[in-house]
Amino acid sequence: MVPPPAPGRAVRAQLRTGIGVLIIALLVWSWLGMMEESLINLTDAPRLMADFLGRMFPPDLSWSLSQKRPFDPPLRIAGAMVAITLQISLLGTAGGMVGALILGFLGAENLTPHWVHHPIKIALALLRSIPVILLAMLFFVAVGLGALPGMLAISIHSIGMLGKLFAEACEEVDPGVWEAMDSAGANWLQKVRYAIWPQVSAQIFSLTLFRLDMNIRESAVLGFVGVAGLGLWIENYRRAIDYQSVATLVIVTMLLVLIVDQISFHIRRRLR
Amino acid sequence: MIRIEYLEVQYGRQPPALTIEQLSIKRGECVAIIGPSGAGKSTLLRTIKGYVRPVHGKVEVMGVNLATAGRRDRMRVHRKVGVIYQQFHLARRLTVLQNVLCGRLGQARFWGRLGSLVGWFSVEDRRQAWSAICEVGLRPQVHQRGDTLSGGEQQRVAVARAVAQQPVIILADEPVSSVDPAWAEDLLALLTDVQTHHQATLVMSLHQPQLARRFAHRIIGLRQGRVVLDCDPASLTEVGLKELYRGSDVISLDGTTSRPGTGRTRTA
Repeated sequence: MVPPPAPGRAVRAQLRTGIGVLIIALLVWSWLGMMEESLINLTDAPRLMADFLGRMFPPDLSWSLSQKRPFDPPLRIAGAMVAITLQISLLGTAGGMVGALILGFLGAENLTPHWVHHPIKIALALLRSIPVILLAMLFFVAVGLGALPGMLAISIHSIGMLGKLFAEACEEVDPGVWEAMDSAGANWLQKVRYAIWPQVSAQIFSLTLFRLDMNIRESAVLGFVGVAGLGLWIENYRRAIDYQSVATLVIVTMLLVLIVDQISFHIRRRLR
Repeated sequence: MIRIEYLEVQYGRQPPALTIEQLSIKRGECVAIIGPSGAGKSTLLRTIKGYVRPVHGKVEVMGVNLATAGRRDRMRVHRKVGVIYQQFHLARRLTVLQNVLCGRLGQARFWGRLGSLVGWFSVEDRRQAWSAICEVGLRPQVHQRGDTLSGGEQQRVAVARAVAQQPVIILADEPVSSVDPAWAEDLLALLTDVQTHHQATLVMSLHQPQLARRFAHRIIGLRQGRVVLDCDPASLTEVGLKELYRGSDVISLDGTTSRPGTGRTRTA
């Protein structure tokens, strides 16, 4: 004899169906909005794309200067732009790490009373919610154009993400060591240094390297709004309708990201 | 050294975890607390350390009443009470020396504490840490990482860390429950040696009465948060133990365990 299904199970099945219907409705709604807002012309799309890519090919690898062109050939400036992009991301990540260490330790539930970690958790969430481009624009107003606003924007944005992840790392440590240090009479900073730091340092460096990867991509994107670096020159060439040079710098950017990604991958594997 | 009067400790709305009318431990005593699990052994130790606040009653440690004293006095006592945990609680990624130096963290003043954050310890700190390490016999392993040591060795590091604190009172919560039984006697011998050498007061909770009888000078039996036994090891009897462990596994003095009712015995 089959036992009658438990009443809870029927309710749960209904709930699951309901959620499924809701998701499909949301997707249909989104698609209808897309149809309304864009002039869909799928028949022309492949031709237009091929045309665009064709204008990018071959990438401009020339070295000689020419009076006819508005800008120097891309390879001549690539080196300096890679350098400034790296500088912005390295300093931005370092600044983000320092800020995130302070807020991460203060924001960990097991290390501070709730009136400290609650507001800090909220502040970190707010920092994460501001798009990095908006931050950069804010700093343009404050410190002017160039590399500095980019670095500041990346720092602040990194604090939001790293601070949250550092706090979560701290919340997973063995509480016994903390109590042992406390029973030896250590103060808060000493407990963080000797009970928490040895347990989380590898994870913190690993997360920071991961954030460095992301920040290099971010700083390239920030170029489009005016931060110095690779992105800025991609935008300059695009405005001059010099797509072959754009292609060169896109390739350089991809190589840079891939190389840094590989390096950080190998370091992170060793940290584990 | 430790004086407890009319103490009552309670967690939430549960029945009191500890009810002690009168208990005093003199300087230099070596006391073992025994009793079935849940009897309040750990709670008693944590109350003496000041981690558990009594509902009412008086806990006087080194002449300071922990319930009413100010922060300064409580910290002064806190620094001089070393604790050894069942699970050792070492920083696994630090070396033996670094772990033992952690026992010195509370002894420094402002600048010393700031220096300790970047790994700077005073000559006195390092001297105390070294002598503690030599005392527990871990000199060859001094630069090994904590997580490469055996359980017995890890507990020795924990003992050294407490010794580096130059404690007046040493509290040990089930110090040998997480180590190989073969090491248990060595460790307890070490603990009592350390206690005699530093003229400290040792209070330890133990699971096995036969170990308590061999190593302690005084045995306190707890049952449901009350002191039901307080005697010297020689007058500890099988009858007293049966009463103490009534309703749970009886551990007799020769180290065998028997379940109530079955009449069977097995070796602990």
